[in-house]
Amino acid sequence: MFSLEGKHCLVTGAISPLQRAFAVGLAEAGANVSLTTASDNEDQEVMANSILNECWSIGVTGKALKVDLTNEAQLDQKIVELETSIGPIDVLVNATHTAVIKPFLEFSTDEANDLFSNNVQSTLIPTSVIGRKMLARGKGKVINVVSILADRGVPNCAVFSATQGSILGFTRSLGIEWIRQGVTVNALGLGFYSDLPGPQQDDALREILEKYIPVRRLGTSTDLQGTLVYLSSDSSDFVDSEMIVVDGAISVHA
Amino acid sequence: MTVLDQFQLEGKVAIVTGSGSNLGREMALALATAGSNIVGVGRRTEPLEETAEMVREKGQEFLSLPTDVTDSSAVHTMVQSAISHFGQIDILINNAGGGGAGRGKTLPELTDEDWHSGMDVNLSSAFFCSRSIIEHMVDHRSGRIINVASGWGYRGGRNQFMYPIAKAGIISLTKCLAMTYARDGIRVSCIAPGAFPHELGPETEVRGQMQAAGRFGFMNEMGPLAVFLASEASEYLSGETVLIDGGAIAAGVTPAGIAPSQ
Repeated sequence: MFSLEGKHCLVTGAISPLQRAFAVGLAEAGANVSLTTASDNEDQEVMANSILNECWSIGVTGKALKVDLTNEAQLDQKIVELETSIGPIDVLVNATHTAVIKPFLEFSTDEANDLFSNNVQSTLIPTSVIGRKMLARGKGKVINVVSILADRGVPNCAVFSATQGSILGFTRSLGIEWIRQGVTVNALGLGFYSDLPGPQQDDALREILEKYIPVRRLGTSTDLQGTLVYLSSDSSDFVDSEMIVVDGAISVHA
Repeated sequence: MTVLDQFQLEGKVAIVTGSGSNLGREMALALATAGSNIVGVGRRTEPLEETAEMVREKGQEFLSLPTDVTDSSAVHTMVQSAISHFGQIDILINNAGGGGAGRGKTLPELTDEDWHSGMDVNLSSAFFCSRSIIEHMVDHRSGRIINVASGWGYRGGRNQFMYPIAKAGIISLTKCLAMTYARDGIRVSCIAPGAFPHELGPETEVRGQMQAAGRFGFMNEMGPLAVFLASEASEYLSGETVLIDGGAIAAGVTPAGIAPSQ
């Protein structure tokens, strides 16, 4: 029902606990898993190799691409090489998820642009490069990581929220645009995760959240593995333009 | 535990209302495939017995309890019988419902009976079943409730009142149950199916092309979502409604299939 055997999944985004959790989860479900790292970052290369080793020891294959996700030509070249070597990408997981949390008026234009580039452009451009090939094959899935702050208000999160709302809006329309050609586009909705960026990294807020979140704990990235595998599997072919939120019920808290 | 192990329901017991047919049957079968035993609830015995045979073929047990789920004391008796037979109930799927009340009538023509019937079949039933099982789940500090709403719970129906209103109520019930019982280890979620015709005919494919996805849902796509939401794979997910509708609700502001160029 949920096996990903025979599929090739690409998880983008700078190396983080999210990427590791995603890669290992997909590998355990049987998929070949490839990753991207930011170009020119040795630490990330080391981490990427560590994640790939974990995947390979589970019995799947995959590669790491050192690439600037906002450089379309560079990305396209690397994807062509990757697909030639490992096979066509069946599932693209846009896992870029950076956050800068501070009062809106303290953002310079450059800082705001950077956040958009790291979150939004780093989702749109890979979706363009890889989605185009999925459409040509008549099948594929795109899964975008989106915070619940896409549509909720927390002080000092306005620019971050804007990037998330942007990705959510993109997901809604692109899913409708592409489903008739065999490609679905969905979002994996994140609540407050202890090992990921966001306002929950503030100690005072974290303490409050641990009591406020109905299930009384922050998430950890591995909590997302089951949902990611469901959304990557053929069993979810009729789920489209949808965000599945995994947040311990915080977003239904009045 | 690998991620695929998280989807296992070995040794679990699920009450599935409306499991005599259609999506309820699909969910019962999928849960059985994942290892769960089933308590099948519905108005009539024969359809339940058909589901029973299919579930038993998968090697799982099926207890058939025909019940009118709009009758709260009948619901209470049903839940007690289920508990007494199996010892522990892990999952409740509130799937019973239907769109028949008041069909074809305008608002002024709708009677009080139409209103109550629509609410009772689609919303009260879920409330009654949840109320009857909850203390058992709290005592065990574990349990899953999966409600079944509809895309109609998100939007306005034309000359349709009870069904959309009740389904929106189901979405709210999901949130209230999730909020109230999260700290007792209980997870509550909701499936909102789009169009899943159960009778396929020569026009089905043509009519399907008018859906956002270019097709209707296939009945067997319902089961895996229920298994996912009933299992450890969704442990940090609660209060949430998942639409499985080929994008119909995300779309909907224009007729399906039209791609404007300007």
